Amino acid sequence: MQAPSTTPSTSPSSRRVVIHDPTLRDGQHAVGHRLGAAQMAAYARAADAAGIPVVEVGHGNGLGASSLQIGRAAIPDSVMLTTVRQALTRAQMGVFMAPGWGTGDDIRRAVDHGAEVVRVAAHCTEAAVTERHLGLVRELGAQAQAVLLMSHMTGVEQLAVQCAQAVCFGAQAVGIMDSAGHYLPADVCERIAAICAAVDVPVIFHGHNNLSMAVANSVAAVQAGAGVIDACARGFGAGAGNTQLEALVAVLERMGHWTGIDLRAALAAADVAEQQLMDRPAAIDSVAVFSGLAGVFSGFKRPVLAAADAAGVDPLEVFAELGRRQAVAGQEDLIGVVVGELRQR
Amino acid sequence: MRAAVIGAGQLGIDLARRICGSPWLDCALVVGGPSSDRGLRLAAALGCAVSAAGLEAVTAADVDVVFDVSNASARHWADLVATGVVLLDLTPGSSGTMVAPTVNAASADSCWHLNLVSCGGQAVLPVLETIARHGGRDAVQYVEVVTTAAAASVGRHTRLNLDEYIATTQDAVRQIVLGGDAAPGAGPGAGHEAGHGAGHGAGHGVVKVLANLTPALPAPAFRAEVAVICPGVEERALRAELAAAAAAVRAFAPGYQIVACRVDGDLVRASVTVTATGARLPAYAGNVELINAAAVLLAERYATLRKP
Repeated sequence: MQAPSTTPSTSPSSRRVVIHDPTLRDGQHAVGHRLGAAQMAAYARAADAAGIPVVEVGHGNGLGASSLQIGRAAIPDSVMLTTVRQALTRAQMGVFMAPGWGTGDDIRRAVDHGAEVVRVAAHCTEAAVTERHLGLVRELGAQAQAVLLMSHMTGVEQLAVQCAQAVCFGAQAVGIMDSAGHYLPADVCERIAAICAAVDVPVIFHGHNNLSMAVANSVAAVQAGAGVIDACARGFGAGAGNTQLEALVAVLERMGHWTGIDLRAALAAADVAEQQLMDRPAAIDSVAVFSGLAGVFSGFKRPVLAAADAAGVDPLEVFAELGRRQAVAGQEDLIGVVVGELRQR
Repeated sequence: MRAAVIGAGQLGIDLARRICGSPWLDCALVVGGPSSDRGLRLAAALGCAVSAAGLEAVTAADVDVVFDVSNASARHWADLVATGVVLLDLTPGSSGTMVAPTVNAASADSCWHLNLVSCGGQAVLPVLETIARHGGRDAVQYVEVVTTAAAASVGRHTRLNLDEYIATTQDAVRQIVLGGDAAPGAGPGAGHEAGHGAGHGAGHGVVKVLANLTPALPAPAFRAEVAVICPGVEERALRAELAAAAAAVRAFAPGYQIVACRVDGDLVRASVTVTATGARLPAYAGNVELINAAAVLLAERYATLRKP
């Protein structure tokens, strides 16, 4: 195994790539937001030891999102933040917050608890909702990032415009989430290139693996100029899971990119995730492929399976109808509506 | 009765149209901000006097009632309080007496500064009040509200003020439905950590509001989902009570419907959709129609009550 270089190269083909690790946030979707403090501490320690630069923590939909609608977290935000902060020695602690699910007060409390990177999220055409919260993050002295959710729902130009708007609001990194796992590498390449041309801050890509494209899409993003890539240990995340962190680190290493992550230690962290966080391996099952094609939010997988099973309807039909209605994250109430209508047919 | 509208965006112009259509009200003035040329032209085309001179124009116009859809109602009220006008405030986060017409209109008859809460508040307060009356407001352990508005139905102020939208809606549920004091833990997000404990029996009277804006096209109608933890609710009886509550709202907002209601143990869920009716607004903008129609109805109530 080739050891990673400890200094970033300046040549364009071997740029530094920052791996942002939302295992303890996006992974919550795979376990019904039930991660406990001991699990979080164990993984955060392992990720920190591996040199992963940012460890993101929270409810699956971020700060303040614990609810009957989206799912109740096992422990309050404050306990998650305190636990992970104590476990990190080198890594920065990240949080995710979408205006409408959380509020400015949640951001204030998170920064008080030691969050250093704050992602403010909005649906793909709604960057305007991030204005005040990005300003607040800057005012509090944390690093402000903006991400567009469900980014496949709008066009390339619109994504670039929205990202540029977020930079005007103070975002120090901007980018897109493939929340449904819908993209192919060429889609990612086109979008990241357009965003890179529109902004002068690092560009973020966050993939999901519904179509088995998460690592390939992340590589495409790096090649198109992205500087921050999200990846989760063992791919632990919503739906079919996220870009698998340890695999991505290995791929980037082979490509000559510097991540600052010790691969051996990242593999050990992934083992911790598998043994202590996950109740089953992240898998591209039939439902995952179908929901990725339908462009439905990956986090709907568990609630759709539960509702479809209880009502005796085909979960694929539920995903098809949710896709037709362009349901977005946060609209879990539509699952019940769709299941009810399908049952009556 | 003479009315003025402060704000000439989508909400302000729709209000001006509704006021022009009211037998009790006369739209005497529409005031716009620096970037409201288009709105002021539309208002002028309705036959309203228009001004870009701000509050000075309002105080000079000798009006009885002011509708405020600007982002500065707190400052406006400070200047209006001495003039004897009634202020109907549609700005989220304002300080007036919170009112939903079919729930507590009478309690606001003696107030001069009425706060329309939020479009989501107008959608869910009749539902929550019905559930709380059925189950007993002291028995309500937790209230959750999720609203989803089409991106095209909300303007810049709403996007900037999502925190205030959430806080105001939570306060209104606490005060109007649960009969509580909005002050303790009333700030935006204050319910979150406390709300967390609700499932463990510790969150008596906790209220949580979530707000979605959806980019889906074609834009879906405004939707609000409520979930209430309250023992002792009987589904069949509640359905009948909710049907009556919805019918009362339809008297002024015809596109208001309760589309689902179910009781599962202590968990009561109900869903509301609101479409805009008539040709003035796109059908998905039921949120705009609901809050504007509520404001005009309250102004008409004021006009008829004070009629000599």
